[in-house]
Amino acid sequence: MSLLCDLQMRRFYHIPNDTADVLIFLQQHSISECMTHYGEDNRKTIKGYIDFILNKELGFTDNQLLPELTPLDLSWDRYSDITNVIIEYNEEINYTGSFFRELFDLHVQGLEIRCYRKTTLDKIRELLEVFNGTTLKFIKLVLAYDDTLELQILDKLVKQYPRVKALLIHSSPADNPEKIFEGSVPVIFVSSNINSCLACGEIRSSYFISNMELFTESQHYNTCLNRKLSIDLNGYIRNCPSLPDNFGHVMDTSVQEVLDNKAFHKYAKIRKDEIAGCKDCEFRHVCTDCRAYLENPQDIYSKPLKCGYDPYNGTWEDWTKNPLKHAAIAGYGLGEIIN
Amino acid sequence: MSKQILILSQSHLEGTTDHVCQWMNHLRIPYLRVNGEDFFHFQNLDDLPGNNEVAAVWYRRKISSFPVKYSLKQTDFNTQYTLKRFLVDEFNGLHSLLFYTIDRHKWLNDPISEDNLNKLHVLSLARQCGISTPFTEVVTTKAAIMHLLDKGKELIVKPVSECIFLEDAEGGQYKMLTKTINNANLHLVPEKFFPSLVQEKIIKKFEIRTFYLDGACYSMAIFSQNNRKTKDDFRNYDNQRPNRTVPYKLPADLERKLDQLMKSLRFRTGSIDLMVDMQGNYHFLEINPEGQFGMVSYPCNYYLEKKLAELLHKNSSHEKEIHQ
Ligand code: SF4
Repeated sequence: MSLLCDLQMRRFYHIPNDTADVLIFLQQHSISECMTHYGEDNRKTIKGYIDFILNKELGFTDNQLLPELTPLDLSWDRYSDITNVIIEYNEEINYTGSFFRELFDLHVQGLEIRCYRKTTLDKIRELLEVFNGTTLKFIKLVLAYDDTLELQILDKLVKQYPRVKALLIHSSPADNPEKIFEGSVPVIFVSSNINSCLACGEIRSSYFISNMELFTESQHYNTCLNRKLSIDLNGYIRNCPSLPDNFGHVMDTSVQEVLDNKAFHKYAKIRKDEIAGCKDCEFRHVCTDCRAYLENPQDIYSKPLKCGYDPYNGTWEDWTKNPLKHAAIAGYGLGEIIN
Repeated sequence: MSKQILILSQSHLEGTTDHVCQWMNHLRIPYLRVNGEDFFHFQNLDDLPGNNEVAAVWYRRKISSFPVKYSLKQTDFNTQYTLKRFLVDEFNGLHSLLFYTIDRHKWLNDPISEDNLNKLHVLSLARQCGISTPFTEVVTTKAAIMHLLDKGKELIVKPVSECIFLEDAEGGQYKMLTKTINNANLHLVPEKFFPSLVQEKIIKKFEIRTFYLDGACYSMAIFSQNNRKTKDDFRNYDNQRPNRTVPYKLPADLERKLDQLMKSLRFRTGSIDLMVDMQGNYHFLEINPEGQFGMVSYPCNYYLEKKLAELLHKNSSHEKEIHQ
């Protein structure tokens, strides 16, 4: 199968390769040339493809080819050395230290704060205060369910800290998507328990994102780890909480030291186009990645363990049931969380 | 004191300046940003940025709103408006002093030309450069309009200066937009009226917004034709079905002429509006020297904010070399 991505409208269309071939042919040829090329028998089918394009406002018909409509430049760059941060929250850690100041001075754009255990909202507010006056744009809060976390109270919280643009409440009594702040901030209650980073790295079609940022970054870098930094539960600096290496502790390390460390950038350049399986997958530039849990833990170019998609026959299966993955599942100690 | 890049902007509602500044930080290019609001904290004229400290200037905005509100003791709607105009003039008088104290060649765009840009003059300059422009006239009578309509032209009317926003007593807001005049609504036109700019209506296939940056044209095609609501002017924004915006490359010959036009105005940056008619001909509409370029940069992935930061850097290094 192929994927047609509308980066502006943030949509994508899963289409058969034959359709994609016709659309590519139409880039250089007129409709009538296309009809001749594919033969009279296919006229209706091709007309159907063209109608689909017109319907979805992905194109228009004209009396000539327009070579002036040039392909999109797919280069990628950002003005921050670190664009996204994950903090595994721990009440014992001081988040006002120089490491954090230096980090957020880099114009970090997105932050995820993960609380595996119940935390009072006062503590959360204290932490959110730290980011006032930074250029941070987006905070996602992951909280453990507590019956004091009523929508009204969360609504007040996001109004006080408008950078908080999404909430995920785990260990909830029920799965329930809600919205607050005039519908602008999603609050997703999930019954599953997120008590460690072992739950991370899952690849699902509902996580796919078709937009300019991800699509262009994915051409050149690993979208999961490039310019990303995490501070784990114990205050150690990592690429991601799930990866084994750390680059020092927030108490005695400077951001510059981390950035100067070559090993910190080891995963940044691993592109989807180089990863086994993913390189042939039509979703590769709308999918994120995971380098922490791999099908073959010995090979950093191996496919994400937690992906159940087979790009060669276009089918999804439950990855936990795949016998070929069992050794890796056991090796990472994931046995417990998948049951 | 070492010379630096000066960015003149405003403190609020200026995402483009912020974005360029973030690139400057990242690329470690030193700069000084002076917002119009800062003028209220200067103690005397010596606090204004001086020629010797400045290597290059990017003049983006003056000010968004005065930090303090002023009113007359006996206030009514008219005097309040007069006062507002007066304060704007006072502020401009001070701000534009910089146009004279800082050498003109250091400015990315000639500031005096930029502040006094005349649409009709730009159209005639464009024609002199061999760029096609829609038939444009300024008329004062219904008879003149009828005469033009008789020639088979449908007309649009738009301001010689800039569109304005109006507010009514209930706080409702209105924006002036391009309007069509044809035989069907001609009866609404009075016999004599204030001198008004009319222009031949071009049936467009799509519009083009070009950001000109130091000799290069970064263009974007805007498709709004399918969208009834946005037929006349794509700024009548339709949020449900946003216009399709995609990268576009103008013919080399037209780019060369636009380059010539921008150079004749001594602009090194600016936003250019063009239209493509059903036959595929290009029509030049206008230049906005301080046009928003984020709306071109992002959908076309052009990184114009970064390119502008680099251009400022290049200009300031050049200036330093000359003085060494
Ligand atoms: S094969 Fe790779 S790119 Fe495709 S869905 Fe799975 S993880 Fe994503």
